[in-house]
Amino acid sequence: MSKVLTVDPSLCTGCHRCEMWCSLTKYGEINPSRSNVYVIRREPAVDVPVVCVQCGLCMDVCPTGALNRNGSTDAVEVDVDLCSGCGTCVKVCPYGVLRIDEVADVAAKCDLCGGSPACAGHCPHDAIKYEDAGKAAARRRELWAMAHAIKIG
Amino acid sequence: MLYGFAGKLLRVNLNSGELKVEKLDEKELRKYMGCTGYAAKLLYQEMPGGIDPLAPEAKVVLATGAVSGTLCPSGGSYEVCYKAPLTGTWNEARSGGAFGAKLKYAGFDFVVIEGKAADPVYLLIKDGQVEIKPAKHLWGLNVEETTDTLINELDDPEISVATIGQSGENGVLYAALINDRGRAAGRGGIGAVFGNKNLKAVVVNGSGGIKVARPKEFAEAIEKAEQWLKSYIFDAIPALGTVGLVSLNNSLGILPAKNFQEAHFEKADKVSGELINQKYQIKRRACYGCSFACGRYTSVNNGKYSTPPMEGPEYETVDMLGPICGIDDVEAIIKGNYLCNVYGLDTISTGMSIGFAMECYEKGLLTDKDTDGMPLRWGDADVMLKLVEKIAYKEGIGALLAQGVKRMAEQLGPAAEEAAIHVKGLELPAHEPRSESKSLAIQYAVSPRGACHMHPNWASTWDFQIDCGMKEFGLPSWPEGPQEESSKRGVSYRYVALQGEVSEILGACIFHSWGVEGNSITPQLYAEIVKSLTGWDVTAEELVAAAERSWNLKRCFNAREGFTRKDDKLPKRFAQAIPNGPSAGAKVENLDLMLDVYYEAMGWDKQTGLPTPEKLKELDLEFAIQ
Repeated sequence: MSKVLTVDPSLCTGCHRCEMWCSLTKYGEINPSRSNVYVIRREPAVDVPVVCVQCGLCMDVCPTGALNRNGSTDAVEVDVDLCSGCGTCVKVCPYGVLRIDEVADVAAKCDLCGGSPACAGHCPHDAIKYEDAGKAAARRRELWAMAHAIKIG
Repeated sequence: MLYGFAGKLLRVNLNSGELKVEKLDEKELRKYMGCTGYAAKLLYQEMPGGIDPLAPEAKVVLATGAVSGTLCPSGGSYEVCYKAPLTGTWNEARSGGAFGAKLKYAGFDFVVIEGKAADPVYLLIKDGQVEIKPAKHLWGLNVEETTDTLINELDDPEISVATIGQSGENGVLYAALINDRGRAAGRGGIGAVFGNKNLKAVVVNGSGGIKVARPKEFAEAIEKAEQWLKSYIFDAIPALGTVGLVSLNNSLGILPAKNFQEAHFEKADKVSGELINQKYQIKRRACYGCSFACGRYTSVNNGKYSTPPMEGPEYETVDMLGPICGIDDVEAIIKGNYLCNVYGLDTISTGMSIGFAMECYEKGLLTDKDTDGMPLRWGDADVMLKLVEKIAYKEGIGALLAQGVKRMAEQLGPAAEEAAIHVKGLELPAHEPRSESKSLAIQYAVSPRGACHMHPNWASTWDFQIDCGMKEFGLPSWPEGPQEESSKRGVSYRYVALQGEVSEILGACIFHSWGVEGNSITPQLYAEIVKSLTGWDVTAEELVAAAERSWNLKRCFNAREGFTRKDDKLPKRFAQAIPNGPSAGAKVENLDLMLDVYYEAMGWDKQTGLPTPEKLKELDLEFAIQ
């Protein structure tokens, strides 16, 4: 089973290093506005990394067939030669993690860096991890359960 | 093309409303490297000596450096450079948060602010677009209210707002400029300068990013920095935040208490970092791009000192609003920090002014009729909180305290002078020069902005036997005997200062540079980072040379304002022994000898303490020969 990106917002300090590593890896520049991972910092004291879960909804609506799932990483990737920059994928994405890159004028999204995502590899506090899908699922169950647990005391 | 920098300077004239964008000259930029170094050149050349820091002619430079807003883990800072109304000296006030990064992403490395607006205004800088906007509706609002109003009005939660609160509007001489709600360019009174210019705030945001000359090499250098910092030796800073120092410093007898009368606080465990982390901390928070995340958000949920979530307290604030005033109520300290943040006050000068007033009250130099009927007794947390408000509005006794310790003492007479703990008008921070380190005594005496533990460096590194990569530049080994000790410290401080100045001119936080190869960002590693980022063939030697240029130019800036060796002195209290705690008996000795040796090591005249014409020629600073 392939790996997935998981997020634990309680560990995020809002440093934005993931965004900078993403843009450096993808475009050779430091530019959080060209990142495919997003850190939302709001007041008071909210820092949450938002990553693509590779659900594939974008793939289903793409009119040019520019979005395809990578067989080895399971990441949904943009084929820049086929992408028309129409933005249909941006409209459909429920997580808001697709964008039209203003420089390249095509869709941009997380492709898991081909199986070695820079964001997770460099997160100083392990708020973003790239981990085994089974382990991630177990943790997700735990978080889901605890979020809905009745608090005693 | 200029890599690593935005490449532009924005010039704002508030008199005329004129906005000018200037392209940075690459050669000139590299000569000073950037940030406070380049700002020193700008202010030295553009602002004649003797200008009243609160006059319209006074200029302010908001400065970033090569590493600001980049993946360099220390790149989360910017600095505000200006002539300080509190001291009349050069000042550089560093602040973290997102402001510096976003200013660069918006397309500017520097903003030069000139003149005075007829009515309150704020400056909006967004992706190269600049507007001077009316701010009448913001005048009178505190930092939090101003920030919220601007975010709503501009409909953009990603903006970074640097603003003054009421204390800046009211001209408190140590009013701060606060960005991102709780990050302060704190010291020296930049808030009062903004207030006098009718400039309420500067708002920045941008999507420009920073171009990297050699991305692969840069990534490798950054990976090295990330790896090295995993072995950082001051691990209490990331783990507990700077408040981790409270217990440690108290155990060493270097925690200043009761206006520096004492260096040990009996009830330090009631205000410790451990307690703050366990009981009041909401979460850790990083400045932009920082892997340490020493920032903390705290709140007090109930009781009479209940406080909404806020950034802080830092170590300095805990000591200043706590032990310095004899206060052991941590909830009152958090509340006091919050009030300083929203009114826009420097917590260090605020706490020191209150502590000084308390000592004056104890000695009968201030009485109930001076203090609006309020007994200023050590340890009274309610009085401290009341005084913070009175200072912000310059109300009653607050009008006296709002001038800072030096001016207070001048008005209270010679007996008060004995208790006035400042250098050149800047109140001491929470580091004890008698027992923490002798190098700290030198730094307090010579730092361009007055008694400062951070600019250009935490002076005690060498005394803690940490070479910070400066051995190969000539940093001496550690001392054997007392006499040798004093002279060696005079030499070592040269290298400690230059290493700190490297961070200053790169726009870097200094925390990351305390260590050695393998556990910190040394000048050598900075050279690798800057080289791959900018494409300049930079070496550690070049960085240290530019640092020396910058350090000398700041000295010349102060010389032009009339400061010489005679002003490089410490408060009289430090010639007396510490009365209590583990460091009892320690005092500052041989300062004159240490200064003699230091000036000589710097190539400065021993009589005047100023750079010689030959030294300035050598540094390519002929224009600064006076």
